[in-house]
Amino acid sequence: MANSKRQMAMVMDLNKCIGCQTCTVACKTLWTREEGMEAMHWNTVNTMPGAGTPKNWEDMGGGFTDAGAQLGEMPTTKAFGEAWNYNHKEVFYGGKGQSAHLEIQGEKPDWGPNWDEDEGAGEFPNGYFFYLPRICNHCTHPACKEACPRQAIEKREQDGIVVVNEERCRGYRFCMEACPYKKIYFNHQKKVSQKCIFCFPRLEQGVANACARQCPGRVRFVGYRDDQDAPIYKLVDKWKVAIPLHPEYGTDPNVFYVPPFGAARFDADGDLDEETPRIPDEYLISLFGKDVLSSLEILKAERARVQQGEKSELMDLLIAYKWKDMFGGFDTDPQTLKWT
Amino acid sequence: MKAEYLANTTLATLLDPTATVWQQAVATTIPLTGTPAAMQPTAAIRNSWADRPIGATSELSVASLHNGVELAFLLRWQSANPTMDNGDNSVFPDGAAVALPLVENAPLMTMGAPGAGLDIWFWRADQGDTGREISAEGPGSTETLNTDRIHSKSQWQGGTWSVVIARSFAGSVIARSLAGSGHDQTLALSPGETTQCGFAIWQGANEERGGIKSYSADWLELQLAGRR
Repeated sequence: MANSKRQMAMVMDLNKCIGCQTCTVACKTLWTREEGMEAMHWNTVNTMPGAGTPKNWEDMGGGFTDAGAQLGEMPTTKAFGEAWNYNHKEVFYGGKGQSAHLEIQGEKPDWGPNWDEDEGAGEFPNGYFFYLPRICNHCTHPACKEACPRQAIEKREQDGIVVVNEERCRGYRFCMEACPYKKIYFNHQKKVSQKCIFCFPRLEQGVANACARQCPGRVRFVGYRDDQDAPIYKLVDKWKVAIPLHPEYGTDPNVFYVPPFGAARFDADGDLDEETPRIPDEYLISLFGKDVLSSLEILKAERARVQQGEKSELMDLLIAYKWKDMFGGFDTDPQTLKWT
Repeated sequence: MKAEYLANTTLATLLDPTATVWQQAVATTIPLTGTPAAMQPTAAIRNSWADRPIGATSELSVASLHNGVELAFLLRWQSANPTMDNGDNSVFPDGAAVALPLVENAPLMTMGAPGAGLDIWFWRADQGDTGREISAEGPGSTETLNTDRIHSKSQWQGGTWSVVIARSFAGSVIARSLAGSGHDQTLALSPGETTQCGFAIWQGANEERGGIKSYSADWLELQLAGRR
């Protein structure tokens, strides 16, 4: 497999995500408004622990095991969540605003893209949850690309972004079975697979991804993986606090996460116990591998330094004092550009 | 097998699988076999289909007729659970294809090879009567050609698909430097000639698509009856 010369990457700080779905809507508005894309959310945010999008995606297989490349389960639109149709006409224009209320038309759904929001896990008063935003991981070793019998999936040489060539795609959907993160959708109108394109047409104009720019929580850092002056390199390679989701899937993702501390526990007397995390270590390890523990140690140590009045490059980076510094040079304001 | 010549028969008649002309045509029964898992083009497909049965169709009935202008095949096969459309993502439509070699004995199993391509006439249940003409010079190399001369008509009844796939004899460039072979190829057919044909069937109910299919393991000789 030919390697890309450079690799674009993203870091998402899970301690800052408030689950507002602004990223989801930014992406939806920009890229998936056409016919056949109704049910697509290239960007999703789910409450963890939870079944996620598509439902139970972590149990669906795919990726690479000791036995080599695998096709996992096919994610269905039903499991992702269908696009629901409402009686807008009746309520807004039919003169029934006082008597009819908005409701989903047709078969009542039993799942959707954010169905188990804020359910989480744990027992009162120590319940816990956090939000996990996900896009295509633009993997260094993309299972989708390797599974496609038509070489219809390309990993761009200039930036490592993984894209589907819709001219070559025949809608066989092996990529959807192979992607262990279940981040590929099928367009039933065009009969081709479609997925997150990491906003490459924006990047080519120096504009950061819509999900990143629109994020009110300053959660997402964007940039070349090897740019040593930019936050991605510092968070992933220098400070080693940003780590991939499910590294055991074997695809080498290029989206990294700063893991969540979670809140402190209440002990039996109702006092705060700062020593025991509410989010069990085992759960975080199941998501991010063992590196999550050293990442959290580093984050805690740096946070403690700041609490004692010292400076910390890591904490300054994560706070993201200057919004534009999060985008690794891709900080052009799209309003200053002429789009054709 | 032989494609008999029926003068003064319209394309519409040829395309109708229930037409009398087909009832009188001689059908040949061809055994089909699943494509080997080991021959699938990617490791993920090979690994995941190694222990799954490939090729839900074991037998195909084929008859062929022409009217001097168009050549038609009637394909009939058992399909207890036909799949007409994609449904949800895990559902695949049934399909059928006729292959003709651009060079005698081009490898059928690998769908041709560079410089030894195939002309494929493709029908899929979700595409109505719109067939596709495809050229191939090896696994994963298929290209849909910008021609509109593949006609098809299908009927599923009582557990059997009957699909007619037809193309005009007239040849035009159908393969343009595929897979780096660098030269254009044509498949011009004429009444009176002898060529070869091969077949493939996809049963969506078995998640068959792409290289996962049943096919006639070797070429069949096809005599195109001359105009009397």
